[in-house]
Amino acid sequence: MSRLVRSSAFTLAFSYVAFGFAALILFAAPLWYAWQVTITESRTELLRVDTQRLSEVFAREGAAGLEAFITTRVGMQIPGERILLLTDPSLHRLAGNLPEWPRVIPGQPGTYTLPVNLEGRHTKAMFVHTVLPGGYNLLVGRDQTLFAPLTTRFWYGLSAAVAVLSIAGLLGGLMIRRALLLRVDNIRQTVQAIVQGDWSHRLPTKPSSDELDTLSRTINGMLDQIEQLLHGVRDVSNAIAHDLRTPLAELRSRLEELSLTRPEREETFAEIDAAVVDVDRVIRIFNALLRLAEIDTGMRRSGFVAIDAAEIAKQAVDFYLPAAELKGISLSYRGAPAGMSGDPLLLAQAIGNLIDNALKYTRDDGRVEVEVQTLPDRRVRITVADNGPGIPDSEKPKVPTRFYRGDTSRGTPGVGLGLSLVASVAKVHGGALELTDNHPGLRAHMLIAPGALRTSGPGEGQHEAAAPPRSTQLSPESVEAG
Amino acid sequence: MKVLLVEDNERVTRFVVKGLQEAGHTADHADNGRDGMFLAASERYDVIVMDRMLPGEIDGLAIIEALRQHGNRTPILILSALSDVDERIRGLKSGGDDYLTKPFAFGELLARLDALCRRGQGSAAQTNLKVGDLHMDLLSRKAARGNRAIALQPQEFKLLEYLMRHAGQVVTRTMLLENVWDYHFDPQTNVVDVHISKLRQKIESESERPLLRTVRNAGYMLTADE
Repeated sequence: MSRLVRSSAFTLAFSYVAFGFAALILFAAPLWYAWQVTITESRTELLRVDTQRLSEVFAREGAAGLEAFITTRVGMQIPGERILLLTDPSLHRLAGNLPEWPRVIPGQPGTYTLPVNLEGRHTKAMFVHTVLPGGYNLLVGRDQTLFAPLTTRFWYGLSAAVAVLSIAGLLGGLMIRRALLLRVDNIRQTVQAIVQGDWSHRLPTKPSSDELDTLSRTINGMLDQIEQLLHGVRDVSNAIAHDLRTPLAELRSRLEELSLTRPEREETFAEIDAAVVDVDRVIRIFNALLRLAEIDTGMRRSGFVAIDAAEIAKQAVDFYLPAAELKGISLSYRGAPAGMSGDPLLLAQAIGNLIDNALKYTRDDGRVEVEVQTLPDRRVRITVADNGPGIPDSEKPKVPTRFYRGDTSRGTPGVGLGLSLVASVAKVHGGALELTDNHPGLRAHMLIAPGALRTSGPGEGQHEAAAPPRSTQLSPESVEAG
Repeated sequence: MKVLLVEDNERVTRFVVKGLQEAGHTADHADNGRDGMFLAASERYDVIVMDRMLPGEIDGLAIIEALRQHGNRTPILILSALSDVDERIRGLKSGGDDYLTKPFAFGELLARLDALCRRGQGSAAQTNLKVGDLHMDLLSRKAARGNRAIALQPQEFKLLEYLMRHAGQVVTRTMLLENVWDYHFDPQTNVVDVHISKLRQKIESESERPLLRTVRNAGYMLTADE
């Protein structure tokens, strides 16, 4: 029972019924009041008209005439229709169907509703008391008991409504509770299974897309993200075990050997220098990992500004051009201004990584092409294409994962984090990294949502589009500020 | 130059102080924020090296903010284990002039301190730069070695301008990346070296005296001295 009371469905049903009661009362109260006022007024009016008529009889025929009239009237009427009483100035009964002047009625004329004793029966009655010329008192009244059935029926009706409302409300509440608890229980069981480590479970969803379904879908999305992160962590720990331990092992053995063998001075210094290079390699991997973590947490979104992706890509191409020339690779750029919202530093690093990768894996005298396009759906596509060995389709999905290095790339410099950084940068910009075949070679696309640039203000967007391309030369001030 | 080092790690302190002394500089040292603040406010230094996270109630950024509020304009290099771009921006906003992430190579620190120290000397309004017989006109954007005109790409011009402005100083690869290309990240490969060797080919023909030297474990230096 206590569980029933505590459940939210019960609370819901109870509140619903309580609300229904409140509504009913608010509805019935004015009705009752209006009814009371109208009925009372019309009854008083009837008694006044009667009093008026009797007063006319008194004026015409005097006290004795009225006395006779009342006696006749009382004799003719159905019992209890009117209460009539005529007394002399000292309140002695002259005529009427009351045995004596009711003590509860005060001496002054007026309208009263008072409890009286009518022929042995206690009841409530309404009276109009008039003082006629000569001090005669005239009392015209009506027994309220005659109206009692009407009132009773009103209350019966109200009670029936209350009863129907309570039963329907409670039944409805119980049914809602049943349906709701069933679905909540489903969610609870699924979540419990996941907590126990079975990540294959997902919350059941229906196409109806009601509130619970929307919630379930959101939770499923969250679970997907968590599962992905979990896999990421697992991959990283495996990769760290391999890629970070290797230089550390080298470093350790180098230092230990140095300490054990105590070689010549010259050789010692050479070994120490080599040890520093080992440390630098480890630091480099750490920095790359920290940078990825920084991007993945999405905090850099605060650094988003209106940028031209084409300008950034062009600058990156210029930066890598001498390195390409040295290898005899033709590195070319084409594209049109592509305004978007983003982090220029991250984008430069991502494009740089793609070019760096392409240069690394392309044969000497190869070709690397960089292209920036704005697609019809306003997304920006940055493509870096090479004619190198490419990546087999089976390996394409694995490449952007942390520390992944294809068998072909073993022995080339790099830590295997380049493309995962590109993927993370694309993701933080609301886009993705796509790898396709270039027949031969690899085409790496960064598809990026244009972001809030257009919505940030119409003036800004137009200004950006109309402005001439920014010079690649940064002023000394901006260098200082950066 | 006279350097103040505010750093709580003993090992790092010994390494930096010794290195500075070997390079012919004097170095004072404080191992907590309070002493660091006191020394920075009472003595005159050419440059201050400030660790961000210090023991005691005052941290590095608070000291920098306080110094700047009191009108102290001494160049400050922030040392920090926090490498995030946002942290870097915070550091520079608080009034720091440069930001170096731990762990660092001593050559990198020394080169940056040197650059900070001499920054005030060269005037930004200078329109002509000269190192030996190499000269550069910033207005017409032309460079020449003696009478031989040197054709430079915009990026090469910018690179040479930075080297000439810092003539006689060691300039590291990271400093070049940050100041010439505005790239605050590690481009993985030796692209800067390639740029330098290309520039070297242009400014030093076979018959001419070498000007652009490679400094081992540090970077490059443009100098006319023997």
